[in-house]
Amino acid sequence: MNSPGLGSGESKLETIISYILIIGVVVSVILEVIGITLYYGSNGNLQISQNKSMFISGQNFFTFLVDQTQHLLGAQNALLFITLGLIILILTPYIRAITSAIYFASEKHYKYFLITLFVIMVLTLSLALH
Amino acid sequence: MITLLLISIAVGLLGSLTGLGGASILTPILVLLGIPIKEAVACGMVAIIATSSGSAASFVRERITNIKLAMYLEMFTITGAIAGASITLIIAPVFLYFLFAAFLFTSFIKIRSSFKAYTMPEKQDKISKWLGLEGSYYDESTKQVIKYRCTNSILGGFGMFVAGLAAGMLGIGAGAFKVIVHEKVLKMPAKVSSATSAFIIGMTALAGVSVYLFSGLLNVTLMAPMAVGVTIGAVVGGRVLNKIRDRNLKILFLVIVTLLIIQMLYKGVTSL
Repeated sequence: MNSPGLGSGESKLETIISYILIIGVVVSVILEVIGITLYYGSNGNLQISQNKSMFISGQNFFTFLVDQTQHLLGAQNALLFITLGLIILILTPYIRAITSAIYFASEKHYKYFLITLFVIMVLTLSLALH
Repeated sequence: MITLLLISIAVGLLGSLTGLGGASILTPILVLLGIPIKEAVACGMVAIIATSSGSAASFVRERITNIKLAMYLEMFTITGAIAGASITLIIAPVFLYFLFAAFLFTSFIKIRSSFKAYTMPEKQDKISKWLGLEGSYYDESTKQVIKYRCTNSILGGFGMFVAGLAAGMLGIGAGAFKVIVHEKVLKMPAKVSSATSAFIIGMTALAGVSVYLFSGLLNVTLMAPMAVGVTIGAVVGGRVLNKIRDRNLKILFLVIVTLLIIQMLYKGVTSL
């Protein structure tokens, strides 16, 4: 139904990226829903909480990522699921940038490889430093 | 959270039906409900990654999005968003009320952008040529392959930096503003412009979130229902009713936007 190879002419890349985006969003929304349900299970209500523990805290994204995955086993914590949903959501555009970079490198589009690399570096730095 | 979830679904639905923003409507509503504006901004930024990635996926699959062009423009939007988000962390909330009100006005501009036929710019500047900023897409409505090329890449890049700055500061997609830069400066066809804009917004929002993540503003009980609600609303709206562009709905939307502008201005004035 679609004419192949149009757009920017990077047909394969487009297919991969559309899957990355859709999977990322679906998985993260499912995790959020599980999290909200668990939250209801443990708190008995669905009130928006201003409790300190409801705010994301940590030093930087990468240590945060390792931290959260270590808590994964045996966890039934609502917060954990919501946080994982958030992490997946953050990783979705990040992974699509890395995929694009790999693609551009393999296709020898060096200009675009460098542009994408710049985007990845800025994001990585910002995630690491904040 | 249920109320917030329902509001988010409605806003996502309305947003995708009218082709106008999601978080830019949701954030002022949250403020109205008594949520501190900086928290609303930070959570809005997260919700945007979800809606943008969701809607961008189908455009990418249909080969309307220009990925190369998007990567080029993202260099500017992400630096803008990081700068913008950093500014929000340090300034007084009162500025945000006024900026938000000002930005809501851009919603009115997009309503008038018509579906006129695309004309290719006669000349392409050297940098745009060097970057190969061009492409083609298959237009469903006219059953034609439309070729296009872009120009003014430096000015366009600057425009995207500004869009990123606003997006990062206010936790919104700034889609309406991006589309203006795409069409008026870079000379992209309307469809490619909206599709590419949706794609870029996800990355820009990620850059904003990277700043907000550990700022102590991200309330998960706020963020989770927002992200889920807006995404569901946007997906349903995009699937079921994308072809229906009801004028009354747009008018309703503009009435809401007007009320929200007034509310933000009121908040701003009273907190001076």
